[in-house]
Amino acid sequence: MKLKQLILSTLVLVSASAWADPTYRLFVTNEKSNSVSVIDSRTGTLETTLKLGERPRGIGLSPDHKTLYVALSGDDAIGMVDVATLEILGKLKAGQDPETFAVHPNGNLYLSNEDDAKASVLNPATNEIIEEIRVGLEPEGVAVSPDGSIVLVTSESTNMVHVIDTAAHKVVANILVAARPRGLAFSHDGSRAYVSSEIGNEIAIIDTKTYAITKTASVDVPRSKPMAIKISPDDKTLYLTTGRAAKVVIMDAITLDIKSTADVGNRVWGAALSRDGSTLYTANGVSNTVSVVDTATSKSVMEIKVGEGPWGLVLDD
Amino acid sequence: MRVFKKWLFVLLIGLSQSAMAQVQDVSLHYVGPTDGSVWQGLQQGLDEANIQGEFLGQKYTLHVVSMDELMDLDDATAILLATDEQHILAVAKSEKFANVAVFNLISDSDALRSACLTNLLSITASNKMKQDALAQWLAKNPESKAHVQGWHEDFVKFAASQLNSRFKKSHGVAMDDDAWSGWAAVKLLSDTVARTQSTDAAVMLNFLKNKIAFDGQKGAGATFRDTGQLRQLVLLVEDNKIVAEAPLRGVKGGLDSLGLKSCK
Repeated sequence: MKLKQLILSTLVLVSASAWADPTYRLFVTNEKSNSVSVIDSRTGTLETTLKLGERPRGIGLSPDHKTLYVALSGDDAIGMVDVATLEILGKLKAGQDPETFAVHPNGNLYLSNEDDAKASVLNPATNEIIEEIRVGLEPEGVAVSPDGSIVLVTSESTNMVHVIDTAAHKVVANILVAARPRGLAFSHDGSRAYVSSEIGNEIAIIDTKTYAITKTASVDVPRSKPMAIKISPDDKTLYLTTGRAAKVVIMDAITLDIKSTADVGNRVWGAALSRDGSTLYTANGVSNTVSVVDTATSKSVMEIKVGEGPWGLVLDD
Repeated sequence: MRVFKKWLFVLLIGLSQSAMAQVQDVSLHYVGPTDGSVWQGLQQGLDEANIQGEFLGQKYTLHVVSMDELMDLDDATAILLATDEQHILAVAKSEKFANVAVFNLISDSDALRSACLTNLLSITASNKMKQDALAQWLAKNPESKAHVQGWHEDFVKFAASQLNSRFKKSHGVAMDDDAWSGWAAVKLLSDTVARTQSTDAAVMLNFLKNKIAFDGQKGAGATFRDTGQLRQLVLLVEDNKIVAEAPLRGVKGGLDSLGLKSCK
């Protein structure tokens, strides 16, 4: 037993040393000005603006946080940036019209190809699409389970969540949800997945063992169009962006009761949550700003000017 | 106990796979042209319904029939009509189709809405909806030469651009009002079958009239009025450019400010 623990802690140490030190940079894709804003999250100041390519939307980090990935829908590519030096590292091929993606713990990117009704698996080390998986129309949200065993993809125009087994790269279940499903998130313990439906104005909980919907709730906020979902580190609280309602809705992650709302900028889409859960960042697509929300008080404490049409964001913390 | 659970799991997976293998056939009957916009829209809807059906276990088929052949049928799952007002009224009023959803795809006749038949569903915007939309626009822009359309190839909001681009990719032409109506009717039906898991005509009709919130890729979840009219926004178009959406912002009644609001 002692030996096992020793091996385990050594392994943790080894893998921890592979991680880069946090830069506390917040990266924001600006869909309409074809740029990525780089913000120092500790001060809220804009550090620089990067030009990677056309129509940047989905954004994410490699498992070691050394590389930033940006889906360039207009270039059919994934742009890469060195997180520490901000050096632009070139592009990966990503199939037609990549909208967004999620990074698997093994480093592969699972992409939704909006115009092509498929999900692609991209190995960034070899720059190869290693698998294409047929899904419903207008695939959008992608999420990888914490243990990497499954990937979920929403298809907006066929109203489904597709469950992809990552070992076989096969669709193993299709879950019908309310109209125009968009965002996805897993609880950190992996037992639950959450899906938002823009037109159905609904949020649903999926049991990740049975793939059954265990709870749904409509979002009782005027003009709400549910989009991105974030889950607090303790799995108790859910943060939901609501598009033209210009609010983040804060819900109990189990009961889906609304606990409070935070006013943010207009047409709020993407969201990022700090690792400690204290701060939520939102991309406000029409206001051209990022809102900084203190989750303890549910208040926006800062609004930072970025490029045009901010879409998604990711924090290196 | 462990072993038992494992076996139960295997059994359940087996069941779900065999359930998937049993494909539900959904037959739709159609009277109307077999070329042009409405036909292409129907084909687009059918392709998309069958993509969903691949995952959820349905196969949709469109049976093209003449009016006589239709009236000789004993029963139907759903009926799609791109014909004139008289034919539509005759089908909807026929006793054997009293519990079958009869879709008026492309006629804007106000009489079809004011008839208030419980099984008649009108997809395209009515003449009165278009007139009301134009009046709202002209009240603010009296000099405008705009006219009203239900759909436009330049429409991008609410994921309309994605629908426009996949229609153009499939058919090589721009999606117009009639194409949208054909597409929407089939998608309304596939949404209904997927959510009710039923092909019983009466169950489907009840769902369509009372429960659906349809993503027509033109805004909020679309529902039907008791007149059978699909609630929807329409577009003001001038020189082939979209100049506004109706209902115009701030108009009382929202979507129901367009056309005959209710039979009551």
